[in-house]
Amino acid sequence: MIAESGQLALTFALALAMLLAVVPLYGSFTGNQRALLQAKPLAIGLFLFCLLAKLALVHAFLTNDFTVINVATNSSSILPWYYQITASFGSHEGSMLLWILMLAGWTALVAVFSKGLPLLMQGRILGVLGLINIGFIAFSLFMSNPFARSLPFYPVEGMDLNPLLQDFGMIIHPPLLYMGYVGFAVSFAFAIAALIGGKFDSTWARWARPWTLAAWLFLTLGIMFGSWWAYHELGWGGWWFWDPVENASFLPWLVGTALIHSLAVTEKRGTFKSWTVLLALAAFSLSLVGAFLVRSGVLVSVHSFAADPDRGIFLLVFLLLVIGGSLALYAVRMNSVRSQARYQLFSREVMLWGNNVFLLTATLVVFLGTLFPLFHKELGLGTISIGEPFFNQMFYYLTIPFALLLGLGPWVRWKQQPVKPLLGPLSLIAVASLILATGTLAAMQSVQANLALLGLLLGAWVGVSALYELYQRLSQFGSVTKGVFKLQASHYGMTIAHIGFAVLVVGVAMTKTYSTERDVRMQINDSISLAGYTFTLLDVYPLDGANFGGEAAEIAVHNSQGKFISQLHAEKRFYTIQRTVMTESAVHARLSRDLYVSLGEALPDNAWALRLYVKPFVRWIWLGGLLMALGALVALLDKRYRRQGAVAVALKKENIANA
Amino acid sequence: MRKLMFYIPLALFLALTLFLLSGLFSNPMERESVTTDKPLPAFNLPDLMNPALRWQPEQLLGETFLLNVWGTWCPTCNAELSFMTELREQGVKIVGLYYVLPTDPLLGERFDLAALQADVSSKLQQRGNPYQFNILDAERSLALDLGVSGAPETFIIDSLGIVRAHHIGDINPQVWRSKLAPLYQQWHQQDGAKP
Repeated sequence: MIAESGQLALTFALALAMLLAVVPLYGSFTGNQRALLQAKPLAIGLFLFCLLAKLALVHAFLTNDFTVINVATNSSSILPWYYQITASFGSHEGSMLLWILMLAGWTALVAVFSKGLPLLMQGRILGVLGLINIGFIAFSLFMSNPFARSLPFYPVEGMDLNPLLQDFGMIIHPPLLYMGYVGFAVSFAFAIAALIGGKFDSTWARWARPWTLAAWLFLTLGIMFGSWWAYHELGWGGWWFWDPVENASFLPWLVGTALIHSLAVTEKRGTFKSWTVLLALAAFSLSLVGAFLVRSGVLVSVHSFAADPDRGIFLLVFLLLVIGGSLALYAVRMNSVRSQARYQLFSREVMLWGNNVFLLTATLVVFLGTLFPLFHKELGLGTISIGEPFFNQMFYYLTIPFALLLGLGPWVRWKQQPVKPLLGPLSLIAVASLILATGTLAAMQSVQANLALLGLLLGAWVGVSALYELYQRLSQFGSVTKGVFKLQASHYGMTIAHIGFAVLVVGVAMTKTYSTERDVRMQINDSISLAGYTFTLLDVYPLDGANFGGEAAEIAVHNSQGKFISQLHAEKRFYTIQRTVMTESAVHARLSRDLYVSLGEALPDNAWALRLYVKPFVRWIWLGGLLMALGALVALLDKRYRRQGAVAVALKKENIANA
Repeated sequence: MRKLMFYIPLALFLALTLFLLSGLFSNPMERESVTTDKPLPAFNLPDLMNPALRWQPEQLLGETFLLNVWGTWCPTCNAELSFMTELREQGVKIVGLYYVLPTDPLLGERFDLAALQADVSSKLQQRGNPYQFNILDAERSLALDLGVSGAPETFIIDSLGIVRAHHIGDINPQVWRSKLAPLYQQWHQQDGAKP
């Protein structure tokens, strides 16, 4: 019964989404106030019914209702309760419902927090979100119903959740990622509303900024947790695979990053207008294309859901309507737009333009790298595959100029920046970076011209520049202590996010250069040395979990002076229902390095295969991601996003502060 | 000119959808074979049932035949045995390439040949025996040279020993009718013709 009520709730949600799409948009074209006023209650109702549907599905999982096909194929009665909840979004059908819940959630949030928006704009934005909601809810109801029953013949036990997904990272990775993907629907709706209205002054950009930041924040966290999950769950020490589905999440992230920067230009300077609108359309469009790639079976990936051409056709038609429709609207409306702002070659506008150029080149590289095999095959040229070396090399070349520009950008003023005043601070930063980078390598007793040196130089350049610029900015308020409370939150946010990028670059370069690994055969009490650490296999004993068995190994690690560092506990689990083997690697993490052990097969003579890694600075990769997300969060706290009425005043102040 | 510029994103997107649409109807797992139109790789392998007897490519030539990679451990292979037996009764020559799964030759593991032979005999008695004989590829060397990625896979090899087709997956009446039979007929008709 509960499952049926879930389906009923989703059907009501579809009806509300249809009303939300029609009524306020009708009101916006006819000027009917009452119709416009319906947008908010409709949006909130839509969210509540989606929530009911989601709760009904979770209930089916928690009560082990194996008559529901989705439960039977993705859960089991011996699965721990928290994984039963996550199993509710582990499948294609369940994850679609989560996606819908998030979309409806964003819609309701826009309805609640749009008091400062003109009613007309509010109605248009919510109407567009309603249209998008219709597509996804209909897809769920008609093409991938999560509540479908298998009565009268149903299994007595479920097939269990894919063991790969039985992990803390899986509890938070998909919701965060989906929040990000779907969040760009809000920026998209703002852009469409602006297109419908035909007005592209800086106001729409100012409204869209906090929403874009919020979506980007979630997407950043989602990607970061996904990378961290892959690192410690898949047992081979990698943190990014350039897998098509990872790329599908990376594309909207790159465009979203470009959008955040471009929105700043449009808001503050009223220029880059058509460009910013296009980016807002592209960020969400790429989220949709990503969803299509994952769910249609067009590409081969470890992440793909089961392929079904009918679903693919539905999604493709949906893409055609949403993306094609919005790009057509864009083409028609943008003809009349003119930018009037003037700026010199050395100005913040041009710096941010450079940021966009590099980010979009990166987007193009990832996009082509991901889809080129498809193009190649469909053109009848045969099958090819594009892998890590291509992407790594391309990003190597792109990161260097991007990081150099990033260190320079925040120093440059709007409109025009004289070169001379910057020479002093910039040469100071350059010298400091050189000292920092070589000093770090000297401390590691490995001064040589390698990728690590390059990464450290670029990271230090960006990081030192961000900190020094912050110091300079704070001093402008008279003294640093006075400035600390006066400087806008968004400036802190920018500084933190840029430092996050620096930390990420250092992490990637150091890990790539200095990681060492060994596949070894060990018996109990054998010791193996790797990169100055001694790993000793103490014991291997059988495991007995709720839904798995297997073996666990205890490994002691000592450093080169013989000092005990840690005892690592690595597992090799055998999940009984799914009959799959999973490695649970053991990690001892410090900022400067990770010690990583994964347990392999049992070998003859009471020996085991083990894989040992020492990975310097690998934590910095995720720390960088966290800092970027933190930067977005801090920027979101900026006062001017909350006091919409006072925007004009704040804007004026800002112009003075920036001048 | 400036007006047209704003149509570029739309045009690019529409081109993309064409590719995505055609992608929907093709199998992303499909790979073209590296062995098609090349001669059978050299090998010298024992017969599964009579290991004293050894097979080399030259002994297989003279008639177009199917080389079927299989193992009793593979359910799909077992399922296609009965249909392939019908094909044998229609006069199609089928040679088995037995793929030993449970042991890894790289680790020097040995398998029990007598048990394997008993297993194969009982399976073929149960389901039908489509094979003229089976080649035992214990070290998977021939399978590797042929670019086999799993079982079952079937190669059509013409009378001169040239690999003419590589089919991944099982052979069922539909696959045979639509894909393999025309190829088999085409090459079978040329049997005996000298180059």
